[in-house]
Amino acid sequence: MSKTILEIKNLEKFYENGVHALKSVSFDVKQGEFLAVIGLSGSGKSTMLRCINGLVPSSSGEINFQGQDIISLKSKELRLARKSIGMIFQHFNLISRKSVLVNVLSGSLAKVSLFNGIFAKFSKKETDKAMSNLELVGLKDKAYIRADELSGGQQQRVAIARALMQDPEILLADEPVASLDPATSHSVMDHLAYINKELNKTVVCNLHFLSLVRKYATRVIALKDGKLVFEGSPLDIDEAWFKRIYGEQAREVGIE
Amino acid sequence: MNKFKTTESFENHISKEKRSAKAKAFFINFLLSFYLFFSLFFSSSYLIYEKNILPSFFYFILLAFSFIFSLLWTSKNSSLGSMAIYKTNKFLKNRKELQSEFNLFSFSGIFISLVLILTILLGSILVDINLYLLFSSQGLSGAKRIFSALFQPNWNIISQVLSSMVDTIFIAFLATFIAIPIAFFFSFFAARNLMKNSLLGNSVYTVIRFISNFTRSVEPLVWAVIFSVWVGVGPFAGMLALAIHSVSSLIKLYSEQIESVGQGPLEAIESTGAHPVLVVWYAVVPQIILPYLSFTIYRWDINIRMATVIGLVGGGGIGTLLVQYQGLAQWNEVGTIVIVIASVVWLMDYLSAKLREAIY
Repeated sequence: MSKTILEIKNLEKFYENGVHALKSVSFDVKQGEFLAVIGLSGSGKSTMLRCINGLVPSSSGEINFQGQDIISLKSKELRLARKSIGMIFQHFNLISRKSVLVNVLSGSLAKVSLFNGIFAKFSKKETDKAMSNLELVGLKDKAYIRADELSGGQQQRVAIARALMQDPEILLADEPVASLDPATSHSVMDHLAYINKELNKTVVCNLHFLSLVRKYATRVIALKDGKLVFEGSPLDIDEAWFKRIYGEQAREVGIE
Repeated sequence: MNKFKTTESFENHISKEKRSAKAKAFFINFLLSFYLFFSLFFSSSYLIYEKNILPSFFYFILLAFSFIFSLLWTSKNSSLGSMAIYKTNKFLKNRKELQSEFNLFSFSGIFISLVLILTILLGSILVDINLYLLFSSQGLSGAKRIFSALFQPNWNIISQVLSSMVDTIFIAFLATFIAIPIAFFFSFFAARNLMKNSLLGNSVYTVIRFISNFTRSVEPLVWAVIFSVWVGVGPFAGMLALAIHSVSSLIKLYSEQIESVGQGPLEAIESTGAHPVLVVWYAVVPQIILPYLSFTIYRWDINIRMATVIGLVGGGGIGTLLVQYQGLAQWNEVGTIVIVIASVVWLMDYLSAKLREAIY
């Protein structure tokens, strides 16, 4: 495949409450791939994703992105680096009392001055871009209604539009469909796949369902108790690997 | 903050944390056991001899005994101090081997029940409870005199009373109004979730919390005394007293509201690379505006009641009028004032409840 966009080396994370969440995790992310991260709840998937954009400070190791090590960045440089890393979340994390448009525009807050940010003055260019991103996720007609009036799937699509405002090099998705029903899940995943293939954005996505992994991911890594235990193609995860990642008792359930 | 780089440094920290937790647990156990032994001997001395017969050297014996007792007790994870500390220490609270569940019929359970019983006993000795005084005929006739005067208010002074009441309402209003922007600004710096991520933030947080806790722990009544010396007796002193107390109370209420906002939007806006001020403005402020309004209305309601009380020590308004008539023993006039205060407080209470209900 093409060049490496993100390189993670010996990443460690100790939480203050005594949890050793990540144990020497190393892997590369290639330009343009759709990398799925699987593992049980509590295996460190969310922590790992949050280490990449510094939402959770790493304890030690290296995260090389755009020629700099995210871990060693000062807060101002970290903010700059975050501009190129979009993120969407399991619970969408929209500002519920604000309109859909303002939520999308909040994705470009890193580009506006403090004054313009506080008075929500966004340029015509940004507003047009927000509208076209909303069109991309099929929610242009909902621009002026309050975010909490949307359904879960629609909220997640707004969150995708918000992340696209950053023109991200890479898009992190933390369990993007875990709180959605199966039909809506596919719609959200299809939008992510479109962004990955057509807009050529690299996607790193935590997922629960192997069926979704097989359908959408180009490559998979698996975490177990904070350790990287598998790296390969989605088709390589057979019964034996499945039991090693999810435990002997586990049985696969699908989302079709 | 990346305190731990390796498993070893982490385990080292845990064992250090265990030692200091043990010391804290010992301290709590020591205080508790000294209190238990002290109140046990003190109240039994009163119950038997109706006075304190314990010589002062006896307290030293109690201290030494409590010291040894709590040393032994702290070695158990089920001692009260250990439970309190281990359950609240963030490093130790999910270490199963240190935790033990509270049980009313264990040693600790019996210990704490004894402490409670002895406290009630000691309290009734110290407060000097005397039911005879409460129901003596002389006492009852005095009470009857006052109550009957209070129920025959003198309506001739109503215009004077109402104008003082208006003063009081405005004292409360102005104090609340001045407190809002100040408390709003500082509440962000007093919120743990926004400030605890950096050393600078942490120190600002600590300083603001300290000052606001201090000013809040001084009662408005005391502030009124201070300001009536500072700016002279009158409504201005009362307003200042209420304003300073409102600022610190609102800082506490507001910042607790900030601490309880959903972390999701915060994470989302933070991950876009936005400036921290904009993160707070977009992710926190929309979540807190309505609770803030509700707290502020509630505070105004409290301030009206407090403005009455601080009037008693020279804060102006209806309280000052009340203390004047009370000093002259003109109980009918006092009755008028009490009726007006009660009606206004009831009305404000009702309005504030309705307003807060409408907001949510």
